[in-house]
Amino acid sequence: MPQRPAYSDPFDPTILPVLPRLERLEDITPEWAWGNSDGTGVKVAVIDSGIDAGHPDVGGHIDGYVAITEGPDGMVYSTDPHEDVFGHGTACAGIIKSIAPSCELYSVRVLGPNLGGRGNVFAAGLRWALDNGMDVCNLSLGTTKQAFYATLHDLADTAYFRNTMLVTAANNMPTPSFPSVYASVIAVAAHSELNPYLFYYNPQPPVEFGAPGIEVRLAWRAGSYITATGNSFAAPHIAGIVAKILGKHPNLTVFQMKAFLHALATNVRPRRDDHGDELGAPHITAESTVEIVP
Amino acid sequence: MTEASGALSEALRTIEDQQKEIDRLQRRLSDERVAEDLRDALLLAASTGAIAAPSHHSRLLTSIVETAARVIPSDAASLFLIDVESQELVFEVALGQKADEVKSFRLPLGHGIAGLVAVSGQPMAITNVESDPRHASDVSQQVGYVPHSILCCPLVYNDETVGVLELLDRRGASAYSPADIDTLWHFANQAAIALEQSRTYQNLTEIITAVVESAGPAVGRSGLAERARNFTRNLEEDRVYRRSLVMADLVRDIAWRGEDEMVLCESILRDIAAFLDSRSITLHAAGGQ
Repeated sequence: MPQRPAYSDPFDPTILPVLPRLERLEDITPEWAWGNSDGTGVKVAVIDSGIDAGHPDVGGHIDGYVAITEGPDGMVYSTDPHEDVFGHGTACAGIIKSIAPSCELYSVRVLGPNLGGRGNVFAAGLRWALDNGMDVCNLSLGTTKQAFYATLHDLADTAYFRNTMLVTAANNMPTPSFPSVYASVIAVAAHSELNPYLFYYNPQPPVEFGAPGIEVRLAWRAGSYITATGNSFAAPHIAGIVAKILGKHPNLTVFQMKAFLHALATNVRPRRDDHGDELGAPHITAESTVEIVP
Repeated sequence: MTEASGALSEALRTIEDQQKEIDRLQRRLSDERVAEDLRDALLLAASTGAIAAPSHHSRLLTSIVETAARVIPSDAASLFLIDVESQELVFEVALGQKADEVKSFRLPLGHGIAGLVAVSGQPMAITNVESDPRHASDVSQQVGYVPHSILCCPLVYNDETVGVLELLDRRGASAYSPADIDTLWHFANQAAIALEQSRTYQNLTEIITAVVESAGPAVGRSGLAERARNFTRNLEEDRVYRRSLVMADLVRDIAWRGEDEMVLCESILRDIAAFLDSRSITLHAAGGQ
């Protein structure tokens, strides 16, 4: 066997696996992507302020809890059931459950009632999710601190190579936050439509997808509801759709998922319409959106 | 005997004189050290532009909150500071009908929308607040004012959230729009800068007080105060100082824009300094001399 450069062994023809080819992206429809899927078997971590299991939108059951705090001797992980400190995590969980009602939900609480060690706790939460085999992580939070750039970048790359989908909310203010600006994550900002299945693709990264996040009705703490605006609430829409797709097509890679999301985005159309006319300017209105299969 | 006692008293006098001279020299040394420390502290104060502003920062903060509530028409507005020790939000500015009542409240960080914005560092706009009496802070319940809409933005300085700016009840609309969030963010930036300057001022005041106190009884405090006043007056009349202050302001504005801009600015200034060091002739640019 000829000598191979480093990292080249997997391409040895004797061991190179043959993999099933996916359908042509042009032919992908919502029906094909997630029709009849309710997210069964897909582990979704909400890395946030906790989740109130008892909220009607959450449905009474959480599959796993971990609350992380920074103690004098390092990180402290408590796996006892916990509640939502603010309501933010419950809001995200409610959205995800409305789209993928049977997904397995894990509450990773990293946002607590104090400011201490937030960056480290956040990184620890993400690491916990990776170590515990999560398929999807909803990250409606991030940090703008340069000090965490490398740590989070490393974790995001690890997630990418493990086929863990990190769905991240873009910062609500015009400064980059990590990990939402990394290429390895699925970054989401808000559009003003309310159809939960309607999302857009943005060809100008770092934010690649747009989902509902403006005046959205949300589950909040203690069984309540509020209406709020923020990129935080756009991310869980995509996280829900990703869970739904994974329920039907397990083991997708992150790049495959992004290609699917691109193909399914409402503003991505065939180059010519049914009448053979050239695709016009990418102007989208609520009326012009394609029919969405829940 | 008489001779011996005379020599002794002569020696004692000499020792006494020497002791006086030593004391005088030590006082002078300590005086000069104090003066030098004071000069350094005042220079630092002057270069950050904080020297002339003991109370104007709180007025500035109030004016920022008032302007924000006028530009984004709102019934009430508050500015909270984070008390890191107690992990609480403390009202710094409160405007609106119930302003006087809420001013005395402190809120734990794990509480309500302002707490969420403080710990997440993310702004948030909320409507239909009244549909959820439990979310509303104890403050709302205690003062009997539950807003319909809330817009809340963190005050971020140097990547740290130092406070929260909150508007309540948007006039002329049922909710705060994304454009309102963007606008409030700019006000929050201004407030964060004002706060940081105020803190710099407070720190410097503490430093100067410590220097004055450490001088001990050997140095008259009134003398120090007088010297400090003279120093400041001289500085203000100094043309080079005033130009330097303008440049310091400029550098601070650039540094505020971000880490990259700060690095760029520093590198350009270093290059200019290196270039000037490397040549013996001086520049004769327009307006120069």
